[in-house]
Amino acid sequence: MKYRIVSAAAYIAFFALIFLLPLFLNGFWVNRVAIYLVYSICAVAISMSWGYAGVLNLGQGLFFGIGAYMLAMSLTLALPENNPVPELMLLNMEPDAVRDLCCVTPGSFLWIPFRSLAVGMIAAIVVPIVLAAALGFVMFKRRTAGVYVSIITLAFALIGQLLIINNQPLTGGFNGLANLALLDIAGLEFDPYGPSVYYLVAVTLLVVILIARYLLSGRIGQILKAIREDEARARYLGYDVENYKLFIFCLSAGVAGLAGMLFTVTAEFASPSLMATSFSISMVIWAATGGRASLLGAAIGALIVNFVGSLASESAAFQPVWPIILGGLFIFVVLVMPNGLAGICKGLIERWRKRDAAREEAYP
Amino acid sequence: MSAAANPILRTRGLTVRFDSIPVVRDVDLSIADGELRVIIGANGAGKSTLLDLLCGRVLPSDGEIWLRDRNITGIGEAAIARSGIGRKFQTPSVFKEMTVLENLQVASNRQVRVFENIFARLSGKPSEKEEAVAARTGLLGVMRHRASELSHGQLQWLELAMVLSQDPQIILLDEPAAGMTADETDKTAELLLDLAGSHTVLVIEHDMAFVRTICRTITVLHQGAILAEGTAQEIEHHPAVIEAYLGSATLSHA
Repeated sequence: MKYRIVSAAAYIAFFALIFLLPLFLNGFWVNRVAIYLVYSICAVAISMSWGYAGVLNLGQGLFFGIGAYMLAMSLTLALPENNPVPELMLLNMEPDAVRDLCCVTPGSFLWIPFRSLAVGMIAAIVVPIVLAAALGFVMFKRRTAGVYVSIITLAFALIGQLLIINNQPLTGGFNGLANLALLDIAGLEFDPYGPSVYYLVAVTLLVVILIARYLLSGRIGQILKAIREDEARARYLGYDVENYKLFIFCLSAGVAGLAGMLFTVTAEFASPSLMATSFSISMVIWAATGGRASLLGAAIGALIVNFVGSLASESAAFQPVWPIILGGLFIFVVLVMPNGLAGICKGLIERWRKRDAAREEAYP
Repeated sequence: MSAAANPILRTRGLTVRFDSIPVVRDVDLSIADGELRVIIGANGAGKSTLLDLLCGRVLPSDGEIWLRDRNITGIGEAAIARSGIGRKFQTPSVFKEMTVLENLQVASNRQVRVFENIFARLSGKPSEKEEAVAARTGLLGVMRHRASELSHGQLQWLELAMVLSQDPQIILLDEPAAGMTADETDKTAELLLDLAGSHTVLVIEHDMAFVRTICRTITVLHQGAILAEGTAQEIEHHPAVIEAYLGSATLSHA
């Protein structure tokens, strides 16, 4: 009971802080923190699959990147100068090609549906889920588990990154998509340096955490935890373990896609670096630092690590060694506090509870 | 072969080979409804492998397994469990980081598909059924404890309680008294006798003293094949069994 009250208080305090923060920040920092909140959503997605079900996806950047690109395509086409054909295609087309999206470069017809903003936004969530379903189906039906899931997902993120880099006429290649319109929904324009985008991201984070918490505190969360604890036992109780893993893998991919979409809105670009191995691993470090088995912990972990990282990157001495510090942090967390900051808090509360219980026994 | 009148579980020519070496050979087993059957045999006789075959952990190279009138050969562990076979392992396999109540909740939930569980809520209190199972296995006092805090004997009972919560048609137990104190062993024997009649139980056992206390029919497995079947007395005086075990004295202490 006590734990529930502390946990509810932690949620309220965190979101109160998040919602009040823009009042004290300038435009540059509002944008920065908004991006960190996007990363928090990523960490929550990692916590859902890794923390709850033990499925460690080391290629979450693939789904994040796809989400980012899907919306970026729509926002590219939303600029008048990118019509009828985006500039990146004009630079890469054959001299005699027809200047139309249907056939200006090989595969450019794939962009046609993205003239609609709604398609871009829906695809940013649906495409990652569908891809995760296909990948997960093959992986989990073959009973791939543990570290092999991590290796396969890592490899797929690399494949995604290479496909984007190597298809410059279609994807903008290494430069990504950076010439974007602002997100504009029914006349409401979202300014990445103002409160509109900030609150869009913050509210999304709140909704994602609340929904994830609602689901995972129910029966499905209990079953996923059981699968994490002992897969074989769950199977001999009649649960189709593969389907449960597939479910959480897809859900996590959808949330990552959503985060990717918000990244495009906030950072105003999508690039292949989002699918880089280092970025996917960063997400895992955020979640591990905050506490992988805690949704709120993971979100806070992402904020803290990125905030410290941005301070470090401003100092000439720290900037070049930041990746080393980050790697060291991960090793430290895994060895010393495997359940992250949230785990330490839980441990403290548990100790209080036990002390109270002992006191009650001694002086009833 | 004592053919049961109304077999709940039947195997026909069940065989499994690991690297072409037969570990279980041509086993025809027939378990009657409500029976308490014990399978004994030396180390490496294929007892555990036989249970592994029955619960789908190992696929047979040959032969069939029937649960009532359903052929369950090769349908997968989860489907076999759903069709009514509950398995308890030798080393207790429970969800260690979850409480006893949570363990029982996962086990007693018989809606096992993903979509049946997405929006299902949990009760913080044990259901009547969970309470009854916990009472039967002596776990009522530790419902809120984490499984990792339990003693070895309690872990064994928890796993048994989980298997019971599944409402299985037949329960497979692999050395249920392994690693228990004499006291715990007696309690376990009592529990098994209590189960017999209301449940069909198939037990693998090593400890002949324990076997004598619980047993009705014994099946002796030797080098993967059924050597003899009968009551404890018949088995102990069976010439082939005596020969295989180099004398009944060895059997008593096996």
